Amino acid sequence: MNELAEPFAMSQPAVSRHLKVLERAGLISSGSDAQRRPRKLEARPLGEATAWLETYREYWEASFARLDDLLNELKATQSKRERAATRKR
Amino acid sequence: MFFPDSFEVSLPSDREIRVTRDFDARRGLVFDAFTKPELVRRWLLGPPGWTMPLCEIDLRVGGAYRYIWRSEKDGSQMAVGGVFREVTPPERLAASEAFDDAWYSGEALGTTEFLETRGITRTTITLLYESREARDTARRSGMEYGMAAGYDRLEALLPTLTGEPA
Repeated sequence: MNELAEPFAMSQPAVSRHLKVLERAGLISSGSDAQRRPRKLEARPLGEATAWLETYREYWEASFARLDDLLNELKATQSKRERAATRKR
Repeated sequence: MFFPDSFEVSLPSDREIRVTRDFDARRGLVFDAFTKPELVRRWLLGPPGWTMPLCEIDLRVGGAYRYIWRSEKDGSQMAVGGVFREVTPPERLAASEAFDDAWYSGEALGTTEFLETRGITRTTITLLYESREARDTARRSGMEYGMAAGYDRLEALLPTLTGEPA
């Protein structure tokens, strides 16, 4: 705990609270020996969490690129119609 | 002009996912692109290799919508539907969202906001799930479809990488 808190400008109880949150989320686990409770980073759930977000991102990115094209097309049609209407008047 | 850099996916709380993007168009036009079936079908196509054979939208409070996507490769389907809770053109939409094969409990509430500044429309989609588990399960399942699509792309690419015919 002391070792983990050292690099941060944060009180030990605050670091302890953060560790509890991470442990509940399954992102770290704690071992124990006589004097220390070493924490281990659980990379698998962390990897899964970022993997689904990344694929979600890609899905929307591709959809929005198609939407950009569609909006451009709609704007072109709209201004063509407006120009035609102006000519008629 | 396009604004791909404005694109952002975030997790504002344990139960939410938020997607934000700017579009170079008046918000009336963006609102139409989100609510007119003939326009939605042009861009909301699902993962690569999927099409959208059904898109029905009854745009009024209490009205239903239903989307079906189909994989052209193996014919598998994905369907989602819900009911509009709020319809305020051209600024705000809210609707429930439930997938047919509900891998998660209950339905989500989707809110879409369109905010126009000098002809640019910032669009924010927020999905609120019943629990954090529901959110993560829903999106992880979606990801599996996406990953399968990703493998298809990789398969197409492999022959060009090894220099061997497919």
